[in-house]
Amino acid sequence: MNNLLSISLFLPELVLTATIIIAIIVDIFSVSNRTSKVSNYVIIGLLATLAAVFLTNHSPTTLFMDSLAFDPFASFIKSVVLVATLLIIIFTRYSNEFKGYHTGEYYALLCIMVFGMFLMASAIDLITVYLSIEVVSLMSFILAGYLKNNPRSNEASLKYVIYGAFSSGIMLYGLSIIFGLTGTTKFFAIRDAITTLDSSSNLALTLSTVFVLAGFGYKISAVPFHFWTPDVYEGSPTPITAYLSVAPKAAGFALMIRFFNQVFVDGDSLSTLGWYADVSFAWPEILGVISVVTMTMGNLVAIQQNSVKRMLAYSSIAHAGYMLMAFPTISSEGVFAVMIYLVMYLFMNLGAFFVLIYVAQKQGGENFEHFSGLGWRMPIVGIVMTIFMFSLTGLPPTVGFIGKFYLFVAVINAGSAFYWIAFFGAINTVVSLYFYMRVVKTMYLDGNPSEEIIVPPLSVTLILLVLAVPSVFFGIYWTPILNWVNNSLLFFVQI
Amino acid sequence: MTGDMLINYALGILFFPLISFIILIFVGKRLPRQGDVVGIGTIILTLILSLAMFGSMLLSHDPGFRHEASFTWIDLGDFEIRLGFLIDNITIIMLLVVSLISTMTHIFSTKYMEGDIRYSRYYAYLGLFTFSMNGIVLANNLVSLYIFWELVGVSSYLLIGHWFEKDSAADASKKAFLTNRVGDIGFFIGLMLVFTALGTFNYAEVFEGVAKGAISGTLLTFAGIGLFMGAVGKSSQFPLHIWLPDAMEGPTPVSALMHAATMVAAGVYLSVRLFPLFTPEALLFIAYTGGFTAIFAATIAITQNDIKKVLAYSTISQLGYMILAVGTGAYVAGFFHLVTHAMFKACLFYGSGSVIHAMHHALHNLKDHDTDPQDMRNMGGFKSKMPITYWTMLVATLAISGVPLFSGFLSKDAILAGTLSFASHHPQHFLLPVFGFSAALITAFYMFRLIFMTFHNQPKLPNVYSDIHESPKPMVFPLILLSSLSVFIFYTLPYFNPLSDHGWFMELIKAKDSMVPGSPSAHDIAEGMHHSHTLTMILSILVASLGILLSWAVYIKNSVSADNWSKRLDLYYNLSLNKYYFDENYNKYLYQPFLRLANRVSYIDWDLYDKYFINGFGHITKWLSSVTGRIDYDGLDQTIVDGLGRSMGKAGSSLKEIQTGRLQNYMLFALFGVIIIIIFQSF
Repeated sequence: MNNLLSISLFLPELVLTATIIIAIIVDIFSVSNRTSKVSNYVIIGLLATLAAVFLTNHSPTTLFMDSLAFDPFASFIKSVVLVATLLIIIFTRYSNEFKGYHTGEYYALLCIMVFGMFLMASAIDLITVYLSIEVVSLMSFILAGYLKNNPRSNEASLKYVIYGAFSSGIMLYGLSIIFGLTGTTKFFAIRDAITTLDSSSNLALTLSTVFVLAGFGYKISAVPFHFWTPDVYEGSPTPITAYLSVAPKAAGFALMIRFFNQVFVDGDSLSTLGWYADVSFAWPEILGVISVVTMTMGNLVAIQQNSVKRMLAYSSIAHAGYMLMAFPTISSEGVFAVMIYLVMYLFMNLGAFFVLIYVAQKQGGENFEHFSGLGWRMPIVGIVMTIFMFSLTGLPPTVGFIGKFYLFVAVINAGSAFYWIAFFGAINTVVSLYFYMRVVKTMYLDGNPSEEIIVPPLSVTLILLVLAVPSVFFGIYWTPILNWVNNSLLFFVQI
Repeated sequence: MTGDMLINYALGILFFPLISFIILIFVGKRLPRQGDVVGIGTIILTLILSLAMFGSMLLSHDPGFRHEASFTWIDLGDFEIRLGFLIDNITIIMLLVVSLISTMTHIFSTKYMEGDIRYSRYYAYLGLFTFSMNGIVLANNLVSLYIFWELVGVSSYLLIGHWFEKDSAADASKKAFLTNRVGDIGFFIGLMLVFTALGTFNYAEVFEGVAKGAISGTLLTFAGIGLFMGAVGKSSQFPLHIWLPDAMEGPTPVSALMHAATMVAAGVYLSVRLFPLFTPEALLFIAYTGGFTAIFAATIAITQNDIKKVLAYSTISQLGYMILAVGTGAYVAGFFHLVTHAMFKACLFYGSGSVIHAMHHALHNLKDHDTDPQDMRNMGGFKSKMPITYWTMLVATLAISGVPLFSGFLSKDAILAGTLSFASHHPQHFLLPVFGFSAALITAFYMFRLIFMTFHNQPKLPNVYSDIHESPKPMVFPLILLSSLSVFIFYTLPYFNPLSDHGWFMELIKAKDSMVPGSPSAHDIAEGMHHSHTLTMILSILVASLGILLSWAVYIKNSVSADNWSKRLDLYYNLSLNKYYFDENYNKYLYQPFLRLANRVSYIDWDLYDKYFINGFGHITKWLSSVTGRIDYDGLDQTIVDGLGRSMGKAGSSLKEIQTGRLQNYMLFALFGVIIIIIFQSF
């Protein structure tokens, strides 16, 4: 589609851009320290964007001279990102970490990051891929270091910058090799070019793909590209940690799905979403190994943590590992499972982080000892946190169980060659029980149960319920999510 | 009324009580009057909706009416479970019965439970129960039926154990729950047999599959008996009848609602709903279970002295009747008896509640805490003190005894006609009508024994007697309403013949043919019943009057001494008084061996398996994780990072030391990762 026609389908991004501009202007003209006003505008803007996402209906096509795809899959990822962003803005308003900081531009930066993730969700051109990842990364660097007076936040930011630069360097190198091999930056043209390459270019193709994989691995924090994750997650303000663990990860997975699905796609089976694996490059196996190593490493190290925040950081690495399980299957069932898991993970992980924010404010710390006896002192918080922990472990009747269920189904259905991945996945689920249940154990079996009961304010209870009720409801009746994902599992493909 | 409207009404009927439960359980205590207004308000709304549905049913007068709506609950490719509603005339009548009795219970309890420590929780649980019971009634498939079935079990557990400070109440609630579980296992097996064979839970589709012969013969018989086991548990049939008498530990209005009128009738409702899939063999099993329970429970009721225990055994016996009717194919008669029984038995329970309430107050004023307020031997002569309770209970007693002009006569007559016609076709099963008619005789006897011991003769405890008063209006109102509903006219309209077997009920509920190939058709069964109608009527009037006469002779005229007879029939009397020692024998031969087995298993599990295997596994995991942790921290951080850091530390600050040190390593490892992948790839 040409540029002029593309504009109409670019509506969500346009609304988002308007939101960013309004946020900046309102921030400039508002009295300092009254920054919640900015967040109000941003919330309205993001809701409008969400509405725009749902309103822009068109059959799958490309925008701006084949550099972006417009399809239900992209809209799905955009909606997930928007919901996560809205929740994070609400978290930020209740967090006291930002006390004494001017948070006006914080919201503007968040929106720019959302813009980057929108592009990531729909990129089908190597240049758009790189640019969108950079937009998201740069915003993440600033947001991670937003607490200027907090050395840990500074440290996190600096590590993130350097590590991010390193990864995107490798990735850019990989992208340029691909361009060198195929002479194009468009996914579909690359696909056509690859099929005609002779075997002498196999090493170069492998090299470039591994380099690109390193870039993706950094974004979704897969081992061995995960090293930045615990430090950055620990040092960043908690709402940002929660955000980084959900939204950019969703966008990263989206980009990864699109890249592997469309560049290595088999021309004959486009309609059935068959993936083209006939390069002399065993990437399904490699992704399988990466998945198993990622979840094992995430879970085992999480056991050792004394800080709940750091535990959740490692747990988010483990969950990236679970989601990677579905990649080697090269099936639409696998993509389906990842999409379901992203939605389920959104609720339970953000829920756990919000409880952490609230507890850290009330108890003055983020370690396990600050959770002791919490189940008795704050009954609502205790019950809700127990639901999230059950869900993260993957126990029924919670969303975590449904998400894992579909992942395992995808792996098992892919044939006996992948049983080992399911086997390690199952073992890891058991291991993860240990540290998730440790939170529950600390809340209910430790501490002094006779202390005075604290009832959280209504607003906090409401947020907790908004996250906890879907965590259970969709664990019992998940057909709505299923239908949504089913309708969204449609890519733009060019034959 | 259109189908969609009916579905909306049904949604309201289902969810109003649930809303009441949620409100009351969370904020009930803080509401005015502890929130009973919420419970009563929602139940009255439910009743209005049920009445509207009932009215539309009467107006449209369509025996074949049927509307279904469902949605997908679980969809896993080739495995799909759909949940939904089935609304037909049986559903509508059942909904009205449930909401009516539930409304009466809500009203009755405002006085009966006044001042209770867990007043709001009591109303919350009533809401939960009404929700689950309506769920059973509305279900169009076995899965949601099973879910609501268990929910009903839970609410029964909660309400029986309402006064859980009393050990007897806590034990009774546990017993009720566990005994029901035994039946539910059978139910579950039956459910799974059906699903495995037919791949669906939906009633209509199941019946279709049975008609096609996709499941047949012994397997279908077993599936049917399995499903019926659920009814055995919930409807308290022999040999799982032991929980119902103990359930009387719950508040009396609860006994009226759940353990007389609705919850225990769920088993009968299940058998009625699933009637088309029972094979002749399964039906025979059902008939004998019901018939035997009817006579067996009646013989226990004769000797009980606790007013609620008599009613409990009478309930078991009447439920046996209904089950017997299903077994002989006259399941419409069984359902009819379910409805009439719900009215007069609830009335009897409210009546007993009214008496107990009065006794309790009188004893309380005397500061007497040793005398049992439920023992009929402490009563007598209450007729003049509690006239309304007396007259309403008398009407209900006449109904249960099967006296013409009252509802019980109509339904019992239909059941007995069914057994008689069944036996005339199968003479080898002559025992079934014998069970039926003798149980009718005994029922008339012990029900009048209850009336005579409580309301007639001289007061046994004069000082208590002098303080007995009629109960307040909210308790008397349900009595009057339900006793009026025990009169024949409400069931025979538009006809006024008290002996007729016609009426709106029989016209609107038409028996369906069994789906099992080779079973007698509904028409044949109805024909047979019609033929034996006159004979049955004469016989049943005869046995009822004989029973009442005997009771009158023993307890009013004293021309036959009960004491002498009990001595003469010493063995039998003791057996009956002690309920045939069922509890004792279950305890000795089932619970105790089971407990010993459990102890053994727990020893193996805890002392051997857990200690060595599980904990060992735990140690290994812990060790592994500490090794990994050490590689990550000690290996990376301490040795390499800090090592590097230390060498640079002399030049930079400690902060810088950590940052540069770590990052280099991070990148190094990422690079290693890339190289390893490429190497792995190239070979």
